[in-house]
Amino acid sequence: MSSSAVSRGVGLEQRELDLELRDSTFGMALQRADLVVIGVAFAGASAAAAIVATGGVVDQPTAFAAVLVANIAALALGGLVWRRGRPSSAFGSFLLAEAMLVFLAGLSGSPNSALHLIGMLGGWAAAIGATWLLLVFPGSRLGGGASVVLGIALATFLVGELPLLFVAPHVQGLTDIGSCSSACPANPALAVDSPSVAATFRHIEGSLQVAWGVALLFYLATRFLWASHARRRLLLPVFVSAAPFVTAFAVHAAVFDLAGVAPSATARAIFAATRILFPLGFIAGLLFARAYAGEALAFMARKLVGRPPIAAVEQLVRRVLDDPQAKLLFWLPRSDQFVDRHGTVVVLDPEFDGLTWCAFGHGDARVLAVAHDVALSEDPELLEAVGAASLLALESRRLEHDLVDSVDALRASQRRLVGAASAERRKIERDLHDGVQQKLVALRIELELARDLVDDGGLEGRLAHLAADFDDALDELRSAAHGIYPPLLADEGLEAALREVARRSTVPLSIDLEDVGRLSEDRETAVYYCCLEALQNVAKHGGDEAAASLRLWRERRAVRFSVSDDGVGFVARRPAAQGAGLTNMTDRIGAVGGTLAVRSAPGEGTTVQGAVTIEAGDRIGDVLNV
Amino acid sequence: MSSTSEQPRRAALYRLVVAEDAYLIREGIRSALEREGEEVEVLEYCADLGSLLRAVEVHRPNVVITDIRMPPTNTDEGIQAAVELRERHPEIGVVVISQYVSPHYALKLFEHGSAGRAYLLKEHVGHRIQLMEAIREVSAGGSVVDPKVVDVLVEARMRARNSLLARLSAREREVLAGVATGASNAAIAESLFLTKRAVEKNINSLFAKLDLTDDKTTSRRVRAALLFLADADLEAEPEVGSEL
Repeated sequence: MSSSAVSRGVGLEQRELDLELRDSTFGMALQRADLVVIGVAFAGASAAAAIVATGGVVDQPTAFAAVLVANIAALALGGLVWRRGRPSSAFGSFLLAEAMLVFLAGLSGSPNSALHLIGMLGGWAAAIGATWLLLVFPGSRLGGGASVVLGIALATFLVGELPLLFVAPHVQGLTDIGSCSSACPANPALAVDSPSVAATFRHIEGSLQVAWGVALLFYLATRFLWASHARRRLLLPVFVSAAPFVTAFAVHAAVFDLAGVAPSATARAIFAATRILFPLGFIAGLLFARAYAGEALAFMARKLVGRPPIAAVEQLVRRVLDDPQAKLLFWLPRSDQFVDRHGTVVVLDPEFDGLTWCAFGHGDARVLAVAHDVALSEDPELLEAVGAASLLALESRRLEHDLVDSVDALRASQRRLVGAASAERRKIERDLHDGVQQKLVALRIELELARDLVDDGGLEGRLAHLAADFDDALDELRSAAHGIYPPLLADEGLEAALREVARRSTVPLSIDLEDVGRLSEDRETAVYYCCLEALQNVAKHGGDEAAASLRLWRERRAVRFSVSDDGVGFVARRPAAQGAGLTNMTDRIGAVGGTLAVRSAPGEGTTVQGAVTIEAGDRIGDVLNV
Repeated sequence: MSSTSEQPRRAALYRLVVAEDAYLIREGIRSALEREGEEVEVLEYCADLGSLLRAVEVHRPNVVITDIRMPPTNTDEGIQAAVELRERHPEIGVVVISQYVSPHYALKLFEHGSAGRAYLLKEHVGHRIQLMEAIREVSAGGSVVDPKVVDVLVEARMRARNSLLARLSAREREVLAGVATGASNAAIAESLFLTKRAVEKNINSLFAKLDLTDDKTTSRRVRAALLFLADADLEAEPEVGSEL
């Protein structure tokens, strides 16, 4: 998991972000290592300040000490923030190293000539280190243009300063603040004291220093101007804090070193201020990036509330990353590949299309990846926010789909069961009607014929008795068969069957039955038994005075029914008895994809209303619904 | 599927075509009719709607006895035949025999007019009086409903609360049931051991109580009585709250 992520070449070792592991970076609680860093930085800053203040070497001890303390503190703090905020990044370590160099620069305040020399060299190292930081920020690699700038910086030291060490009696500081004039310790490296040669090298050094500052400024400006919006957020604080410093650095060399103008107190104060300000940009940059990532996460979370389709999520990702080429990729564990939302396998080559990807998942399991501009690799907080939000959106949709799928499957199997049961009942009714019942009827006819032939009074009496028993048996069989499945429902549909129910109703009943045509058997049966159950409820629980009305009608794409009564109402009834009936009705209607609503209040009767949708294959009049 | 009867070739009083697809029932009907001797002649036995209608065209019977449910669809071919024959041969009486006591089928049979139509339960086909009564009535343009179907309705009406039937006396209810089966005043009088005059008085009073108009034609009277018994809409209207 390296921060810069993009390893060029075939291997494509892109980043894998495990969101759960990344949780440990949340918050800023101090760890022991941090305390050590803080302690060392504090000690270093104090020591440097003490050396400068007591050494009596530096021309502006107060300003120099202030700059040293502020820079060491800012760089150490920046190092901590970066190490904690982006553990994968080396930049935090760079900042800590720079803090060490600044401490070394503080040694130039020592009257000891060796320490003074080390301090002067430390100051050079710190300046070149600061240049390196600005050039690689926020990563750790130098681009082509950056190498040229660093080359100028190194040349300034090697061509300008290094020869001076051997020809100048006193080693001067790189800038005015840390310089000494009267009390400089002797230069231990002095070989030949040649003022004219030293002046020449000072001139070369000054010229190169101007070139160094201008090149660095130019590099930072072009980099900022060419950067994407996302990158600019990170660069802006660094650019804002570094530009005055680098400008002052170049102006200092041009005006004071080359033109020989003595710096005014104001110029000195401004220059000190730019040096104090400069390292703060590194901290601000990271905090800005984190804040923006947090905002982006909140923005995406808000937009994802409506569970937009994946295409819309991808649009959001593009908008937040400010990367029109960004894509969501989905991991296929079986084939070990990423596909885009159209199902096309995606192989990314950063060399070729400038895109790389960042994968998200749980533990070792990849779920998705965000393919993005290579430059965005240096904005891991933002990628993480976008990835986490997309992951959430994707998983909530998956959950929803799974849920919908399983509910659909359950409903379908329920419907098949109910359908099979009602078909079976209908078959049993048919079998009874055409089998046993018909044989009984035929025997009953025979019995009547036999009765006709009998003259014997006693036998006739026995036969009459037998005939009456036969009739009872037939009645019972008939009502059993009807209870199993009403033939009228199968033959003529809901309207006729419910009219027949109304005819036999013991509750005063007004009916308003529309010809709703023919539905599938399972839906007709469901509606029929719901009406029957509701009417039986009125008879059983509605009270002695209850009257009911039964309605059946078509409305848009549904067949609706309602059973209303003016009985005692729902709450007053025994809940157990009511509950089972209601559950039955809801189950029956639910199994065929219909709905049922029950409304009741004590003293205000009960209304049961339900609906089943009209489907392809239903008949309305003579029209087949397709 | 058809077999012509072996009755003597003398012109019988009732010339029948019988349609019934179930063998056992058909044999029952055959025995019941054979017992009537020369008064009844069965010209052809059929087993489905198509052959019934063809047999009618061939033999021009004056009465058709038909099963309600036959091939091809096994639903209500008997009623279809009755409707078809009213159109083509209104003079032919039709006795529909059925295993269904549901009044729906009897009412459906009467939907296109009740004259010359009878609805008889199959188990009563062996009953000499009921069968011959139905044949006689339909051939004369009258109507008959199986008393059992009427009983089912009367019982349901009586069980129902607020029933208008509660306003009738026991005697009036019996007379109403008789009217609904299609019985004549004389027949009702005979079965209830009343004078014909007493039956007429009861009919007048019950029709007034039920707000029905009496009709001298028994076929229309039976339909009105049956509709009254069957139609729940005519019940005292319950006060029910508005729909959802």
